[in-house]
Amino acid sequence: MSNPQDTVAGSQAVGGTETDDWRTRLVEFSKSDFVRSFPFWFVPFSIMGLGVYGGIGYNTLISLTDYEGFNEGPDYTNLDLGMYVQAVNDPWVWTTSKNTFVLLIVFTTITMLLGLFLAIMLDRGIRYREKIQTIYLLPMALSFVVTAQFWLWMYNVNNGLVNTVVGLFGLGPYNWIGDPQLVLGSVIFALIWQFSGYAMVVFLAGLQSIPDDQFEAAKVDGASVFKTYWRVIIPQLKSSSVSAAVVLMIFALKAFTFLFSMFGQYRVPKGTDILATLMVREAFKLQNWAYAAAIATILLLMALAVIAPYLHYQHKQGSL
Amino acid sequence: MAELSLTGTTKVFKDGGDEIVAVDNIDLDIEDGEFVVLVGPSGCGKSTTLRMIAGLDKPTSGTISIGGEAIQDRSPQERDIAMVFQSYALYPHMTVRGNMAFGLEESTDMTDAEIDETVTDAAETLGIANLLDRKPGALSGGQQQRVALGRAIVRNPEVFLLDEPLSNLDAKLRAQMRTELQQLQDDLGVTTIYVTHDQTEAMTMGDRIAILDGGRLQQLGTPMECYHEPANVFVAGFLGEPAMNFFDATVDGATLVSEEFTYALPDEIAAKTTDGAEVVLGIRPESIDITDDPDSSEGIPATIDVVEPHGDENAVHLRLGDQSEPTLTAMIDGMRYLASGQSVRVHFPTDSVHLFDAESGEAIHNRQLTNVDRVQEIGTAQSAD
Repeated sequence: MSNPQDTVAGSQAVGGTETDDWRTRLVEFSKSDFVRSFPFWFVPFSIMGLGVYGGIGYNTLISLTDYEGFNEGPDYTNLDLGMYVQAVNDPWVWTTSKNTFVLLIVFTTITMLLGLFLAIMLDRGIRYREKIQTIYLLPMALSFVVTAQFWLWMYNVNNGLVNTVVGLFGLGPYNWIGDPQLVLGSVIFALIWQFSGYAMVVFLAGLQSIPDDQFEAAKVDGASVFKTYWRVIIPQLKSSSVSAAVVLMIFALKAFTFLFSMFGQYRVPKGTDILATLMVREAFKLQNWAYAAAIATILLLMALAVIAPYLHYQHKQGSL
Repeated sequence: MAELSLTGTTKVFKDGGDEIVAVDNIDLDIEDGEFVVLVGPSGCGKSTTLRMIAGLDKPTSGTISIGGEAIQDRSPQERDIAMVFQSYALYPHMTVRGNMAFGLEESTDMTDAEIDETVTDAAETLGIANLLDRKPGALSGGQQQRVALGRAIVRNPEVFLLDEPLSNLDAKLRAQMRTELQQLQDDLGVTTIYVTHDQTEAMTMGDRIAILDGGRLQQLGTPMECYHEPANVFVAGFLGEPAMNFFDATVDGATLVSEEFTYALPDEIAAKTTDGAEVVLGIRPESIDITDDPDSSEGIPATIDVVEPHGDENAVHLRLGDQSEPTLTAMIDGMRYLASGQSVRVHFPTDSVHLFDAESGEAIHNRQLTNVDRVQEIGTAQSAD
């Protein structure tokens, strides 16, 4: 009669294993990296998530309401895209968008070219490289409030340094800030001054990671200095260019700080009014909360469009 | 195709206030179509010499000429040379085709169709025609090596410069590429300078080898000459694996007296020395005779320390007399059995000993080359076919 006993004992054993199995899994789960690391990443993640993504979400929600003024809170019962329709039909939105784009393209392009040029010059072995690098990078360390005020003085119609210098060539004086034709150019120039050092440092790092034998191989292959850079070296700076461009473009989109510091008010000259200044004005001067939120969302979408190629590039490189 | 000559070529690098002589007054004449290997330990100046020929470094003094024309002041692109770099230096953003075409696009006025044809031909010669549209990052080390060679070949240069081209390959592929490179050079008939620190590559590949040390040319000759008739202690010790054995000794009449043994010199060698001179006795491991007959009283008593089997032959490390460290390495037939700890007697045949001046290191006497001469003649006859 040993067989039935065996069977019974066997079935008990099976039942026991199932319970054990469930318990072991729970114990294993509680010991897993995910659970054990939870307290460490969840707190910063939730603070950051609430601040950034919660903010984006709440902003988008408000942009769908008709919320304005101080009298009552937003009405969430009636959500529509009315504010976006209004934005598309607002000529001022189009003017500021155009200015934003001009700032974005001109500022980024010139800063990158200038940065690349400076980096190549430095990389070609000017001595005391470290010191010169610091000189160019220094503007980047200054606060926007300082540089804005500083350029405001530089551009002063009557006794600004810029007019004194162009005056030496028999030109001007120009009203750099007051003239709507000139003001955007003046602002872009000041921003280029501040950021070309940053672009240079990024490119210099890229250049210095290219081994000497690339230059030598091109030399032996008979390429001129210009062709060596154009066909061999600059194409290898692709990842430096992408990261410099993304940072510069994102900055161009949020140049509000600089403009606000320069003009000391929400209403900046028409020629240099960008989406960011329009948004702040609509919100905090006119209390058109919903409309400002809609403009903010448009600005966010533009920023996403700017970094999308970068994310795509990173993904293609396998680093995302 | 052209001959290349270096006359009194010197390169001094300035490092702060110090002057470092990298290449010291080198004279080198390389014939048209010849394969010359520059070999030496790290820092011997071989790469600097190559870079001066390429035009990447400018000689401090002296001349370099290709086909009789002085070129030391010309830029690399005006020298009609092509170079293969140790790291290959392939352009990572270009395809194999782009890499190989780049030099032609930049230095010739060939049409795109001609360039494409030249590149395809070279790629077929090297067996990389199927890789033309890949980028260097997607190639194995051996394939990258071929692309680097191809990039040099398409230029059809007067002089081909190779800077340690095989050092990044694994041992098996290296041996294979060694043969392929020699064959390729033979087919193309281009004057070639090959830099390496590997004496096996130097011995097996070169028509002639130039051995450098401390920026100075130590010897220029055929591999056999350099191996069997080394000009000095450095060359003797550098070529050959395991290295030649050296013993400091003093000449006493017709006898060499060293710490471990005395060695009777035959008359013809003794005639080249002076009584009381300090010399270095050299003997190659494969020339040493080992007797394990306990009754023998010939030769120097020794104890076997370690036996390293190499398969076809065994390396035997021996302690002479009552030394505590092995000082002598001998090669014996792979089928012969000698045990560690065994007492033997070693004998240096008089026809294969080398004698060097202890102070200058210059050779006083080298082994007889009679048989080697014959081997070389056969070799020359074969390559002439």
